[in-house]
Amino acid sequence: MTDRERELRRLLASAPRHNVSRRDVLRGAGALSLTAWLAACGVSGTNEDGGGGNGGSEDDGLTTTEQNGQFSFANWPLYIDRAKGRRPTIDDFTKDTGIEVDYKEVIDDNESFFGTIREPLASGQGAGWDMIVVTDWLIAKMARLGYLEELDHSLLPNFEAHAGQVYKDPSYDPGNAHSVPWQSGITGIGYNPRLTGRKIKSFDDLFDPAFEGKVGMFKEMRDTMNLTLLGIGIDPQQATVDDAALAQEKLIEQRDKGIVRNYYGNEYADALVREDLWLTMAWSGDVFQLQFDKPELEFVVPEEGGILWVDNMAIPQGAENPIDAMAFMDYVYDPKVAAQITAWVNYICPVPEAQDILKKADDSYTKSVAKSPLVFPTPEMESLLYHYKDLDEEEEEAWNDLFGEVIQG
Amino acid sequence: MPASLKRRLTPYLLTLPGALWLLAFFLVPMVTMLSVSLQEGSLEEGYRFTGHWQTYTEALGKFDTQLLRSIWYGAIVTVVTLVVSYPMAYWIALRGGRRKNLYLLLILLPFFTPFIIRTLSWKFILADEGIFLGALKDWGVLPDAYQVLATSTAVVAGMIYNFLPFMALPLYVALERLDPAMLDAASDLYSSRRQAFLKVTLPLSMPGVFAGCLLTFIPAVGDFVNATFLGGVNTTMIGNVIQREFLTNNDYPEGAAISFLLMAAILVGVLRYVRKMGAEELTV
Repeated sequence: MTDRERELRRLLASAPRHNVSRRDVLRGAGALSLTAWLAACGVSGTNEDGGGGNGGSEDDGLTTTEQNGQFSFANWPLYIDRAKGRRPTIDDFTKDTGIEVDYKEVIDDNESFFGTIREPLASGQGAGWDMIVVTDWLIAKMARLGYLEELDHSLLPNFEAHAGQVYKDPSYDPGNAHSVPWQSGITGIGYNPRLTGRKIKSFDDLFDPAFEGKVGMFKEMRDTMNLTLLGIGIDPQQATVDDAALAQEKLIEQRDKGIVRNYYGNEYADALVREDLWLTMAWSGDVFQLQFDKPELEFVVPEEGGILWVDNMAIPQGAENPIDAMAFMDYVYDPKVAAQITAWVNYICPVPEAQDILKKADDSYTKSVAKSPLVFPTPEMESLLYHYKDLDEEEEEAWNDLFGEVIQG
Repeated sequence: MPASLKRRLTPYLLTLPGALWLLAFFLVPMVTMLSVSLQEGSLEEGYRFTGHWQTYTEALGKFDTQLLRSIWYGAIVTVVTLVVSYPMAYWIALRGGRRKNLYLLLILLPFFTPFIIRTLSWKFILADEGIFLGALKDWGVLPDAYQVLATSTAVVAGMIYNFLPFMALPLYVALERLDPAMLDAASDLYSSRRQAFLKVTLPLSMPGVFAGCLLTFIPAVGDFVNATFLGGVNTTMIGNVIQREFLTNNDYPEGAAISFLLMAAILVGVLRYVRKMGAEELTV
């Protein structure tokens, strides 16, 4: 643009000599201003000067070392226990610690929530939340961008004492430097044995021509690509873009043979209940809930492997009440509190001891939660679980393109 | 102010609110999108204007199938809604009698429920084992593997259902203005009923046909709701592609480029159509 300006000045300066008409100059100016306008419409990024990749506070630690008696908490809908219009865990926490919680259910999916906090974080203004719950791959991405505060593990004794081993030092956040798990779930296969006529065990069952038009896959790129990689014998963590292309080939073959009915978001659950789908990629917590209406449904981690995804609590860079947020992080790792949340939420609890507490409950519902391998996976199940591959920006674009060709045939 | 100047300025003053409105809500977004489509970058690094027009050719190469499919679906929807609505509008306009308004209300009635709900409800009605197909399968009329959902038939049928009123109403308006005396005159001059229809009714209703086709075809090509809910594999429309580029992949330049390609395709088609039909017929 500055080149253009210079060019225009030269043009104006040389006007008398070269007899440049007023019209020519105006045309030049018009082109300049149009370019300026076009350029001004840009979308600013995170690595620009001023904002800085490391957010506003230059990574020099937290904004405060004191509790302020309050913090704000952005979470997903239906992701904490409720009773009589109250949230018992939040209320108990406030009673025990005197810290008020501004709890909001504002996250519907990772990408669009990240979209709402990305700009302010990039310009160093903070996300407007003291604590957020997002999925592991986004934790990795935000940590890489310098958008998350480091946790002070001396303030998290309960986490150290009670968190399950699989949740410590995860590949997406080494040493739990920026995050601790909230709840997690498994991406595997949900099916109706009456319709399939047999037990489903393997990833390859999703490719069986006998189930033509009755198989559901996810339109969520990470789930489908990572599960497919496992299915063709590649550990997602080690996968290259070439491996992803192999997974794409496999998925396109499945699509072109007419085996896949469609690529689903959350609505796969309805299709499974309505029997439009006989077997489908599925999330463990959903199937657990669906079993109350349709007990015949089953969930299986394919023998080739399933995905353990973890939703994590984290503190965005520049949060005003980080110490209060960490007090809450530690509070929910008290096994009693963890049990209370899990009994209502039905996802996988990061605190194994909660299972014993739930087993001792009086009502049969809570006992069924305690017994379900979908809430407390068995060790055999756990040995089959892998994490999503952490994609850098370039890989993410390549994977998105590969996967886009699959679902947008 | 002299009266003559006032008279000359009046038309401009009258068009000013509309012109400003268009400028603010049509031109500005258009230019912004045009700019975005020519930018390069990523969500993390930000997007910068580089005049990278190759995004267009790349997008066209990647998504030509979906673009052609959308135009094809839009064409089918337009033709079918026209064939279905014409007799209906004709009957209401010329034979509806005192209950005309009631019949019109019946056409409009589906609009009282939101678009999404109406489309979603077809998912339940047409479910493989649902009330309709389930029953037919139990009676042995249909084979067990038969399905309607997740096929292109379902997508096109959903669009026909949703866009029918957009075709029916302009047709009705055009036919309603038809002076019955013209038809009497035609028969007085010994035309058969068929000739009267072809030489009087049809030409006089052409403005309605014209408006109806535009109102149906343009939104149908860009629709993504029907393909999302009723479609399956190989029914992805260009609207779905745009939605995914913007909201899932965060690839704003490509999304913007496809939007412009879609707009250009529609514009070219519509301009040819307008030239052929004559622009004066736009004034319904």
